[in-house]
Amino acid sequence: MSADIKSSLPKPPSDPRPEAVRTTLPIWIIVLTLMLLFLGGLYFDNHSGWFQTQVYGPYASVDQLELYQPKSGAAAELARGKVVYEQVCGLCHGADGLGKPGQAPPLAGSEWVMAKGYNRLAHIPLAGLSGNISVAGKDWNMGMAAMGAALPDADLAAVLTYIRTSWGNGASPVPMEDVTKVRAGLGARPQPMSHDMLMTMPE
Amino acid sequence: MTANETIHPTAPAPEIDASCRLPLLALLVGASVWLVVGTVLALIASIKFHAPEFLAACPLLTYGRVVAAANDALVYGFCLPASLAVIIWVFARLSQTVYTLPLVPVVAAHIWHLGVFIGLLSILLGHSTGFTWLEFPRGGSILLFVAFVLIAIPTAASFGFRLEKDLYPSHWFLLAALLWFPWSYASANIFLVAMPVRGVAQGVVNLWFANNLLYVWFSLVGLGIGFYFLPKLTGRPLQTYYYALYVFWTLALFGTWCGLPQGSPFPAWITTLSSVAAVLLIVPLIGVTVVFGRSLGGPGSDGPMGGPLSFVKFGLVSFLLSTLMYIALACPQISRLLEFTWFGVAQSQLQILGFLAMVLFGAIYYILPRALGFDFIAPQFIRAHCFLAGLGVVFWVAPLALAGYAQGANAYSLDASLNWLRISTLGLGFILLGNLLFALNILAMFLTWKLNLVKTLFAAITAPLKVSEVKS
Ligand code: HEC
Repeated sequence: MSADIKSSLPKPPSDPRPEAVRTTLPIWIIVLTLMLLFLGGLYFDNHSGWFQTQVYGPYASVDQLELYQPKSGAAAELARGKVVYEQVCGLCHGADGLGKPGQAPPLAGSEWVMAKGYNRLAHIPLAGLSGNISVAGKDWNMGMAAMGAALPDADLAAVLTYIRTSWGNGASPVPMEDVTKVRAGLGARPQPMSHDMLMTMPE
Repeated sequence: MTANETIHPTAPAPEIDASCRLPLLALLVGASVWLVVGTVLALIASIKFHAPEFLAACPLLTYGRVVAAANDALVYGFCLPASLAVIIWVFARLSQTVYTLPLVPVVAAHIWHLGVFIGLLSILLGHSTGFTWLEFPRGGSILLFVAFVLIAIPTAASFGFRLEKDLYPSHWFLLAALLWFPWSYASANIFLVAMPVRGVAQGVVNLWFANNLLYVWFSLVGLGIGFYFLPKLTGRPLQTYYYALYVFWTLALFGTWCGLPQGSPFPAWITTLSSVAAVLLIVPLIGVTVVFGRSLGGPGSDGPMGGPLSFVKFGLVSFLLSTLMYIALACPQISRLLEFTWFGVAQSQLQILGFLAMVLFGAIYYILPRALGFDFIAPQFIRAHCFLAGLGVVFWVAPLALAGYAQGANAYSLDASLNWLRISTLGLGFILLGNLLFALNILAMFLTWKLNLVKTLFAAITAPLKVSEVKS
């Protein structure tokens, strides 16, 4: 074949194999690489959560996750109790727990709510309440249906914990297991409680 | 070299070039057709984005399908086969041997182009796999894989049989590229399509592959070819061998980890590792800058404006810019603003059309007349192509990047970026014109070659027997 290429393309004088100069690599570029690797390592250390698969950006570590994520435990229990309270009980007893004249007695400062134990308290929303009852020095003679009977034990426990620890009420929280026990003790269709019935049972 | 020649007589350049002729034609003719198809589809997609009523009645050309088809036509239709063609020639020249088994790549090239055809058709008909850069369904992707391996084996073998034993930096880049693609393409297809992994891992595999194709593979090929042609076209030596090698190793080492944006829904260690690796790309970036800058200085000839060297230079500058954009996207302050906007599209388009495609154009314009033994039918088109492509890439990529900024600065509002997108369509129009000139030259050359072939055959049949032959 003819080697004669009448190319109008820029043709180098000859058509040689390209050459590369073989001087050694300067040390600075290796030092720079190592420095960048070191800085990269530091950055990784601070932002990666060290291979913990539950850590996603923008969080950088398990500690940060715990700091910023919604709490579990007591705080979560309270938040849940507040929600359930405002949906189910707050209509009558008020979001502030002060009760409403002619509708429902206060829960803030109520001796029934703040009692040492919560056995009697747990019976009230599970079974309902009727008849005469004195709350914080005032007598009430109305009735309350079993407003908490339809709630899951966990929700009811959260509500009771909420009303016992909010609005200046400084009583102990109510564990779910105890709500389960009280509900089991009441049977399928319990009679509404009265003041006298409540007083016969342990606090 | 002289000592070498006495032991193994190395083949003369024209003979080497001729041995690559058939594979080059088989790969490049199809590639230039896909280049035009891809650019036309990209133009349709670009117009549709700001004028949704354009071609709205045609379900084949829904925006989502056209974008995917355009990208795949450009990458799998043009960039890959054209890269393979250039690699075949560069390896044969570097080894100073004629290309053995030229018919294997010819068959493979046809398989490849069939695979692209099936793949693109499936995308337009709505049968894409849904994974970015892996949209081709099984029928297409298996053909691509087989064809690539069929080409890679004899090409790598021509490296093994080389008569010139001294390695040149391009050897490293291009040999790695021959292994890199089948490995990453097969892994990605296995883990996403054949035996899909679940949940978070799917996204990770998809983005890993996209980065390995568009960043790592493209860089290996573009730099490997660029580092070959830069000294060849200027007549100055490459400065230096070890810088180029350092670029190779750091690119291979850090490049594979990049490409998982910080805001993507993967555990923090994955995205953090990816950003750290991307920032480390500063090292190969500096390396290429040094090689590029130093190899351009000194005595030698630059050839006329608009020739192959202009394409290669433009491509290498695009590489520097696109890597800079890639690094920027990994920095937390910037990524918060630009992540998941048009800026990322601008970066990948710069990598495809500004970097690899330009380097390939330059190489092809240099190689093809030598492989065929005659010049382009319209050599003046080359300058026009260079001008249109340069202008086009600037007007295509810069507005896209600005559109990304407008989007990020305006709470991801698309309205803010619409005017920039309109300008980018104009840039793509220039690119399309340039690509048409390229394809015309290639096709005309192919037809002339075919015609000559028929003529010689005809002449051989009809020629009266020479008297001397009759006697014997
Ligand atoms: C429909 C209105 C209404 C709703 C809703 C209601 N209560 Fe009552 N509640 C009353 C009334 C009325 C009484 C007083 C009953 C009586 O006089 O016998 C009362 C009494 C009580 C008492 C005892 C008196 C006190 O103030 O300490 C408690 C404890 C109590 N309710 C808790 C709850 C809890 C917990 C809920 C939500 C699960 C709830 N109530 C929902 C109307 C309501």
